[in-house]
Amino acid sequence: MTAPEVPSGKIAASFYDGLSARRQPVLVWPSEDQRMLVLETSEGHQFLWQMNRLRALRDQSDEKSITLTLHSDEGDEAPRDPARLVVTDPLAILWFRRMVPDLGKRDVHAGTVRKVLLWLGAATAAMVLMLFVILPALSDYLAGHLPVETETAFGRSVMRQVEWMVKEEGAGDLTCTNPDGLAALNRMKDRLIEGRDLGYDLQLSVFDHKMVNAFAVPGGQIVIFRGLLDKAEGPDEVAGVLAHEIGHVAARDPTRIALRAAGSAGILSMILGDVSGGTAIAAAGEYLMRASYTRDAEAQADRYALGLLDGAGISAEGLAGFFDRISADTDMLPEYTSSHPLSAGRAQRAHDQAGMQGDTRPSLDDDDWAALKAICAKGD
Amino acid sequence: MFDLKSPAVMARYTGTGSALFGLALLNGLFTILTLGIYRFWGKTRIRRYIWSSVDLGGNRPEYTGTGLEKFLGFLVAVVVLAIYLGLVQLILFYFGMHFVLEPKSEAQALMQIAVVYISLFAIMPLMIFARYRARRYMMARTRFMGIRFGMDKGAWGYVWRAIAHGALTVVTLGILLPRQTFWLEKYKTDRSWYGDQKFTQDGRWTGLYGAMRHVLIGLALVVLGFVAMVVAGVMAQGSSGEDLSAIAMIGIVLTFIGLLWAAIGYLYYRVHAYRYLMDNTILMGRRIFRAEPRTGRIIGIYILGSIAISLIIGIGMLLFGAIIAAMAAASQATGGAPGPAMFVLIAVLYLCVFIAAGALGLVFLIQPIIAHFAETLTLTDPSIIDEVQQRAYDPAADAGGFADALDVGAAI
Repeated sequence: MTAPEVPSGKIAASFYDGLSARRQPVLVWPSEDQRMLVLETSEGHQFLWQMNRLRALRDQSDEKSITLTLHSDEGDEAPRDPARLVVTDPLAILWFRRMVPDLGKRDVHAGTVRKVLLWLGAATAAMVLMLFVILPALSDYLAGHLPVETETAFGRSVMRQVEWMVKEEGAGDLTCTNPDGLAALNRMKDRLIEGRDLGYDLQLSVFDHKMVNAFAVPGGQIVIFRGLLDKAEGPDEVAGVLAHEIGHVAARDPTRIALRAAGSAGILSMILGDVSGGTAIAAAGEYLMRASYTRDAEAQADRYALGLLDGAGISAEGLAGFFDRISADTDMLPEYTSSHPLSAGRAQRAHDQAGMQGDTRPSLDDDDWAALKAICAKGD
Repeated sequence: MFDLKSPAVMARYTGTGSALFGLALLNGLFTILTLGIYRFWGKTRIRRYIWSSVDLGGNRPEYTGTGLEKFLGFLVAVVVLAIYLGLVQLILFYFGMHFVLEPKSEAQALMQIAVVYISLFAIMPLMIFARYRARRYMMARTRFMGIRFGMDKGAWGYVWRAIAHGALTVVTLGILLPRQTFWLEKYKTDRSWYGDQKFTQDGRWTGLYGAMRHVLIGLALVVLGFVAMVVAGVMAQGSSGEDLSAIAMIGIVLTFIGLLWAAIGYLYYRVHAYRYLMDNTILMGRRIFRAEPRTGRIIGIYILGSIAISLIIGIGMLLFGAIIAAMAAASQATGGAPGPAMFVLIAVLYLCVFIAAGALGLVFLIQPIIAHFAETLTLTDPSIIDEVQQRAYDPAADAGGFADALDVGAAI
């Protein structure tokens, strides 16, 4: 196909001058050297538009017309002159499309790249500062100023929620109440924390559930699941895990982390917006961020636990053994995706510690250990 | 120039579903590939298309916003919101903790839930703020016949008025809803401009009670239903009989019908409040619009559109399900476990359904409703527009970014 001929003579078009709300009929033709487009109103006013500055509006609904405007670097949101020329003549449209190569060009104002980079940098910096400096610092400060009673009440509420979540339908109260078992557990606790002030009155409970886990809630309350006692190969394993949770209590981790989570909730999903998968991505991002907070806290609690075990003369081999056994399940994913450090590394550190320990004796005698394992057994 | 011989001009809507669908599908795809960043450009393209689909006497409005300014405005909003939300949420949570007790009764449990929702009230003023700003941006980026629309600053004034009116409406159990609707719309209209000419909202707030009629009928039915149920309950204490359960049944049916009536009545209210407010909008001393959208048509669009969307998505999911089942069968035949290809396929399916649902919603619900509103709009006195002069460019710094970040505002 050859280039369409210059439309013979002048074509009729509609013109909005961008000064008043009037549509003016104009005649339009290219100048002799083809570098200018001449627009003439019915009153005889002439406008000269440079061909290489002509642009067409994009994404327009009407396929039978094009709306032309001029590239101009001042004034508007887009670098466009406010005047508009609407052409409906099919031949003329074809001619414009072929003869003005820049018709579909997207222009931006000068300095745009710099502006975008500047704002992108400022926004990123503000977010990082907020999420990783201000919120953690403020959470730590507030956690330190929360009255212990308030913390304890909040922690009880969290405990009840966890109980409610793991409970199977129809099951009664999950808390195990065998007095001999509780006495044994408390003896273990007393030996671990002897001579230390945690700032809390430590309260231990056991939930009758098969999960191999333990957790600390705000207010110095620690919950051990029955599954952990069932799977433990000796009292020192339980003592090691308990020492670790006491480490969290000493550092007020549960409260600090709850406050941080409250502060950062929703910020990432706001950035990603309501796009497909956005919610999932935001949830994953929030998880990773929280994991990085908690990983440090876990490593610290481990160090604290080793100190406690050492002070109480309990072998760290128990804790090492526990980490060794769970590492098969926990270390399938790289460390940065996990809320805890890799178990293999934690086991290694506990092993190292055990190697340096002097005399140790088991954290519970055989009778107490048997009583602890039976803590969830219903009374006769 | 408008043809002066025709005193009124009815708008037409020329947008097609196929063009919009292509645009929306492409937007969805790019948005996912760019982790959400493209959505500002995507939204801008959709608006350009929809604006240019309206035809008023051969003149089409133009949307002049750009994706870039929208993206920049969003960055500004995110910085402000991240700081505000982070601090407010953290501090509210901190004080909320003081009220948390181990729930011993239902009342305490309810109170704790209420405490959690306090943070919502912290965002609410910002959401209202965002809505005003988004409307201002939309006005500032709309042109007709080459002349800019515009809106004055005043978002904070709008925020406290909206909260006060909203509270009043809640306190009066919705009786003063027309008052809220009228004064808030008047606040916005009285700050709106076309070129150098200002709009004025005329009319009275009591004029909106006509539009409320079906809501009131629905509520009356609900009250009647409740009365019937209470009567049945009281009488049941005295005697026993099957006629009582009949009364209770009537009560339940009445309540159900009343709720449905009130829900549709609320839609009727929205449509007719819009009609009243548009008909009483004044530019250059004249009532220049006549708006005649119909509630029935909008309900029809909702019903037909929902059916069409469900059918298309359903068929698509069936096809994908068949492909996945075939792949699973093939991998089992070769003895291998389902490979990563399977999970990729399922992820792709999820994204496809999501994109398609968004695009179909635009094509089968949003565009037809916009089209109906456009096609029932008449410009009663077009000749006066000739005298309107251009207004200055409004930088509108946040470009609707707060609305984008908080996910409030218009459907498009």
